[in-house]
Amino acid sequence: MTVTTERAIPFFPPDLFDTDREALLAALYEVGTDPEQKFILGRRTARFEDALRTSLGADHVVACSSGTSALTLVLAAMDIGPGDEVIVPAFGCAPLASTVLARGATPVFADTDPVTLTMDPDHAERLVTDRTRALMPAHMFSVMADMPRLRDLATRAGVRLVEDSALAQGGTLRGRPAGLWGDAGVYSFVQVKVFGMPGEGGVALSGDAELADRLRMLRNHGQDGRHRFLHHRIGHNSRFDEVMAAFQLHRMAGLEERVARRTAICSYYSSHLADLAGRGVVAPPVGGDGRFPYVYTLLCEDRDGLRDHLAASGVDTHVYYPRVLPEQPAFAPYANRGGEWPRARDAARRNISLPLYPHLTDERVEHVVAAVRAFAHGRNR
Amino acid sequence: MKSALSSPATGERGGGRSRIPFFDQSESFRRLWPEIEGNCVRVMDDGKFSHGSMVAEFEREMERYTGARHVVGVNSGTDALVLLLRAAGLRPGDEVIVPAYTFVATATAVVHAGGVPVFADIEDHGYGVSPDAVADAVTARTRMVMPVHLFDRLADMEGVGRVARAHGLTVVEDSAEAIGMRLHGTHAGLLGAGGVLSFFPAKTLGAVGDAGALLTDDDAIAETARMLRHHGRSGHTLAAFPGISNPTVVTGGNSKMDDLQAAVLLAKLTRLDADIRRRTVLSRRYDDRLRGLPGVRAVPGDAATRSGEERVVYVHLVEVDDRDGLVAHLDAAGIGTEVYYPRPLHLQPCFAHLGYRPGALPRAEAVCRSAVALPLYADLSEERVDRVCDEVERFLTGGSR
Repeated sequence: MTVTTERAIPFFPPDLFDTDREALLAALYEVGTDPEQKFILGRRTARFEDALRTSLGADHVVACSSGTSALTLVLAAMDIGPGDEVIVPAFGCAPLASTVLARGATPVFADTDPVTLTMDPDHAERLVTDRTRALMPAHMFSVMADMPRLRDLATRAGVRLVEDSALAQGGTLRGRPAGLWGDAGVYSFVQVKVFGMPGEGGVALSGDAELADRLRMLRNHGQDGRHRFLHHRIGHNSRFDEVMAAFQLHRMAGLEERVARRTAICSYYSSHLADLAGRGVVAPPVGGDGRFPYVYTLLCEDRDGLRDHLAASGVDTHVYYPRVLPEQPAFAPYANRGGEWPRARDAARRNISLPLYPHLTDERVEHVVAAVRAFAHGRNR
Repeated sequence: MKSALSSPATGERGGGRSRIPFFDQSESFRRLWPEIEGNCVRVMDDGKFSHGSMVAEFEREMERYTGARHVVGVNSGTDALVLLLRAAGLRPGDEVIVPAYTFVATATAVVHAGGVPVFADIEDHGYGVSPDAVADAVTARTRMVMPVHLFDRLADMEGVGRVARAHGLTVVEDSAEAIGMRLHGTHAGLLGAGGVLSFFPAKTLGAVGDAGALLTDDDAIAETARMLRHHGRSGHTLAAFPGISNPTVVTGGNSKMDDLQAAVLLAKLTRLDADIRRRTVLSRRYDDRLRGLPGVRAVPGDAATRSGEERVVYVHLVEVDDRDGLVAHLDAAGIGTEVYYPRPLHLQPCFAHLGYRPGALPRAEAVCRSAVALPLYADLSEERVDRVCDEVERFLTGGSR
């Protein structure tokens, strides 16, 4: 039975920005009354792009309306369209398939690695055809995809590498930040993300100057930024709001600390749950290269049992991906014929995520751990 | 904190040398701040900042204002158009007839929805699509026609409707600019299968960032649009976090509206009718000063109003012989203008592949050479309207040349 009391530990906390309420109101008031009266893609957005560029060591950062939209713009900037194939993981979020379909191209679903839950490079390689134009792996929960091998595969196959790093801000692999492994990458800033904000927005990242120019054009109706109402390309309205840029600039100083706190919680969870693997609850490893503290996900044989047990213990959980992409009603008609994704399906059957946010208290973290352990040891069932 | 951030030097009235921007809502924003702040605090208390409860509340208020059975809040008028076309049943390769004289999103939305835009010329007197031109553009592949209500009045919906019925076309409206405009009491966007609203900041009802909405009386269109805006997910997702794991049943995207923008819009909505009246007064003041000046071809108020039509002046657009000269003169005098639009859509580089040639749609091309929009917003003072008129007059009568 699910009993939500006022003492329940929420999975989606409503108070993410409570310590910055005044700053948010100030940003809104400042932008609303600014004599410049420029509300979209203005000087604050440019400063935010610059700040991200500098902190990441990225060449180009292009702010736009969401992480999903950033992926769409990237595929458009690469001229991926009808007749083209893009290899994507079978386990993940809808935009992996929908952004490809929105371009008129075909998503080809690859199975996942059973441990990292990200795209299996071996399976991806077997799916490469003459029509393949890009690989689009995604980092998942708290683990980056095997980018060195996927980079190598993309190079050997002569296709583009689009990195869906929407949720992986803060991760690095072999010293290279998530988002900078692909020919282009993206971040999402929707509120629950690592660098979440109180509104929709995202960025595309790229080391390719020509691609970045196209992205800038595509995000604002195909205009070049100099000649108003001259539309060079079929563009989108995918722009970044100044209020959000002002707020993100304000919050940037605290990002490292928030990431560190999230990482500490992940480490605590893993070090206290690692021994449950033999009891049907598999926790991700503690630390390691290519990790980022976005969502903490367990794999559990009796997933629904764990969910109900935690709910009864006052712990909200969430199942992000209860079914694989090629079995979603919208994407099934496009799924590779005869395709099988046994490990992706297994992940869909077993994944369950625990609360994780910077202001989650030690006491609550300990309570979550105790509740998971109690379930695994068969008490209170 | 606020006082430290707020800037002086706006709201200055009648100062002969201060710049008159093309658009400014800072005075309204400052005046409405208590309501805006209150709404924002409610958003912060709720804790869901996009696709949340304030968006839901704004949708209900917009349903009340427009009389629409459904208002679906999204991130921009452009995305609303794409969702409208898809939800209304556009199929890949279908042709949609749109005017050649409009903002580019009218036609790019057709492309993003999988269709092909076919451009039609506009009326001889007015800026809406010509029903005769629509009839001429119909082919076996035409499935929809999308008139646009530009600037200060509706397109000829009865004329377009006649052509649509004769050819079995679905009528959808690009009513992005048309908040408050009505025909026989029915709000723009509800005269066909559905329409859209843009809340781009400079609009009659403007946010302080991008936002838009789709409006329709059709339950099925609304239901599909609600799924499309949230990654194609079925079921309840508005103001419901766990809905992100609902089954994906259509290929959607992320067109979710920010609740902070809804908070601003709800506050401004309380002033909308007064703002519209204010725009009418200022527009009439322009008309009275500018009609008949040498070189002025048209002022908005002189076009005949159709029976049952309620105008709203979103943009005060005039046509003059030497448009580029006037723009330069006003700019030098510290007056902002906007050229809606310098180039018709059929001659835009992004539609070059469709093969239109200069001269194909002469009325649209001519207006693109002569039209210019003057400052018009609720916060504008009469004195400033007069100053703009003085400068227009000075230019046209050769006073400064």
